[in-house]
Amino acid sequence: MIRKRKIKEATIPTASMADIAFLLLLFFLVATVIDVDTGIGLALPEPIEETDIVPVSKERMAALLVNENGDVLLDGTPISIFQIKNQLKPRIISKIELPANKKLIVSMKTDRKTNYNIYIQTLDQVKLSYFEIRDEYSNANFGRKYNDLDEESQKQVQDKIPIIISLAEPESIKK
Amino acid sequence: MKFEKRRASTKQEIPTASMPDIVFMLLLFFMVTTTLREVDVLVDFKLPEAQAIEKIENKRLVSYIWVGNTGRMQVNDSIVKLEEIQNIMYKKRQELPNVIVSMRVDKNSEMGLVTDIQQELRKAYCLRINYSTNIKI
Repeated sequence: MIRKRKIKEATIPTASMADIAFLLLLFFLVATVIDVDTGIGLALPEPIEETDIVPVSKERMAALLVNENGDVLLDGTPISIFQIKNQLKPRIISKIELPANKKLIVSMKTDRKTNYNIYIQTLDQVKLSYFEIRDEYSNANFGRKYNDLDEESQKQVQDKIPIIISLAEPESIKK
Repeated sequence: MKFEKRRASTKQEIPTASMPDIVFMLLLFFMVTTTLREVDVLVDFKLPEAQAIEKIENKRLVSYIWVGNTGRMQVNDSIVKLEEIQNIMYKKRQELPNVIVSMRVDKNSEMGLVTDIQQELRKAYCLRINYSTNIKI
């Protein structure tokens, strides 16, 4: 009598699959770099051979000078870094409704020996005043903060309050 | 009269059959989002702090320049000289036209060096830069 041999069902043991997957997961969790890069963005001007000197009226300019000792001059008067924002804001606000070629230009100039940290603090103040004004303007006109606006409205705000920062090449200090 | 404890007739186990699937989904998410660390930083630096900062959304566009507290500069995996930056960055820009150069400069550096690097970047037409800073609380 021939009896059919019972064939054992062929299965791959999957009990350890979860463990293996967890191990892989752990590796990627550890290897992932979550921290986002943060910083102050800026666009450099294109390199040009000969520069046309365009006269700019004093009205439009806010000249910031930072020397090697960390002293800051705003339009010729000494100022502490933390006051820059309060001084700049009214000047930017007063020019919101003016055409694009009349907006404020912030010109920054440093010495070659100026400390980088102080330069960043100064730039930060300038950026901060622009950001705050953009937020205030958006709040007044669209009822939301600048970052929560849709792209079109953001563009409008940008047109009204463009960030114009001119970086002058530093002077080498006299010996 | 005998009392018998009434037992729930349902099984009392947590079904674990779908656990691997869930874990694999998590795994896949991390695999896709991971950008592995590519370089060893060879210079010593401390970033300055600032308030008005922006996030760089796209990490793959970023290319770094490190400047240490002794004035050493690093691009990619090696220490470079100032004159070499233009060539290196120009090649980078050809691969990635809208590259963002993130400058990780030590906070006690001098502006002269930073400006020199910026001039090199201008010549290489890498015009989008970002001064890397930590958030000030």
